[in-house]
Amino acid sequence: MKLTITFLQIDIHPLIGLLYFFLGLMVMVFLFLIFFSFYKRRLEIKKKFWEETIFSVISQVIFYEEDQQPEMEIKLDKSLLHNSKFRQYFTDEIIHVKKNLFGAPASNLRKLYTSLYFDKDSLQKIHSTKWYIKAKGVQELAIMEQVQYVKEIFRLTNNSNELVRNEAQCALVNFYGFKGFRFLNVIVHPISQWQQIQLLNYLHDAKSTDTHQLKKWLASKNESVVILSLRLATFYNSFEVYNEVIQCLQHPDQQVKLNALMYLKKIASGDAAEKIINCYNFSDRTVKLSILSVLEEIGNENQVSFLLKQLHDNDDTIKLAAAKTLSCLHPMGKAFFQTHLFADQNPWKAIFSQIENDRAA
Amino acid sequence: MKILVAEDEMIMQKTIEFRLKKDGHEVITCSDGREAIQKIEEINPDLIITDIMMPFASGLEIIEAVKRNGGKNIRIIVLSAMGQENVVLEAFQLGADDYITKPFSPNELSMRVKRYSVETKEVTI
Repeated sequence: MKLTITFLQIDIHPLIGLLYFFLGLMVMVFLFLIFFSFYKRRLEIKKKFWEETIFSVISQVIFYEEDQQPEMEIKLDKSLLHNSKFRQYFTDEIIHVKKNLFGAPASNLRKLYTSLYFDKDSLQKIHSTKWYIKAKGVQELAIMEQVQYVKEIFRLTNNSNELVRNEAQCALVNFYGFKGFRFLNVIVHPISQWQQIQLLNYLHDAKSTDTHQLKKWLASKNESVVILSLRLATFYNSFEVYNEVIQCLQHPDQQVKLNALMYLKKIASGDAAEKIINCYNFSDRTVKLSILSVLEEIGNENQVSFLLKQLHDNDDTIKLAAAKTLSCLHPMGKAFFQTHLFADQNPWKAIFSQIENDRAA
Repeated sequence: MKILVAEDEMIMQKTIEFRLKKDGHEVITCSDGREAIQKIEEINPDLIITDIMMPFASGLEIIEAVKRNGGKNIRIIVLSAMGQENVVLEAFQLGADDYITKPFSPNELSMRVKRYSVETKEVTI
């Protein structure tokens, strides 16, 4: 038997080329990793240095006391202030600390913010074309209580971007309390429910209201302005706008009606219950239920006949709400259940027992 | 009075420390909940001022640990952020004595601490 070995004729030049290519690639990746880790390390060292510098300056400022030292001295390498990233980092830190403090330390931080011209940076941001930079600028000026820029901020309360105008509106209320709501005179965009809650949270002056302005806003064509005004009237217990609120019961918007009812629940006059009943038939189910609930608080025996009629409504939830209010307003109290014609039949039996259980609870 | 301050934000921690030391108290600081629990056992402070949100163990866990280990005479002031009413209620249920909402004034904190300082002196006498 004869063994024959045949060698394949392979051209190894392209393989060597490929090998060189991958070796080169590996070297490049390796070098990239070395440079990247070096760059990252440098960044970390720089950040740590910035942190320590800023921490030292903020500490000096917070602990500064006017009675012990006539002028605040800030020990800081001025060349750092030419770096825009350092300025932004510093601003963020000041704002973060300012959020946690008030009194003299907060006032010192405000002085530091303006003395390093960070307020000018924030002002520049609000002139940016990008909405998120604009919003950040407004937020910075608001937290640092830079009331001198109120004109620029006021212009943004009606901005086309929702987040920018939200920040601007919050800033104004933060600065001036109730007076800050003057943007309601010009706003054409709706104010979201969330934003309304935010604005009310910013209210810190519980004493001053301008009834004239409130009346004007209650007649606004912007429904969200009317809703917010109703909430403000409720917050300030503003009885002066009682008639305007009663008018709001005729408003086509459901939320306006519900907020008017909330006001009347808190601030009711003698005729409020009758006025509420007048708008009952023109209202939807949610408003009807709210009316029945408000009557429980502000009603009297005069509304018993109205409530008895509602016991014949097709909707069982309305029947329950009417029965619940009746149990409070009826001269016989809960005992009126027994006088009802079908008291021992459903749904009456279930409704009356639920009310009794609720009361017992 | 020996006061332990548990606060993870360094600037806030230093601010509180500075103010309380100025009032003549002995202040020990720590930056996380676990460290705070260890230090409480070591130094047995008269008063603890603790933030709610902290790494490793929260302010609530610190209160629990103090009460579990029989620290009935240790007063606890909780630092909470706005809108943390539920957490504050929980802190009171666990045995906290007082709370301060951020933002706060160091002067306000000083006055509150002073109240406990007087109580401690009376007990010592």
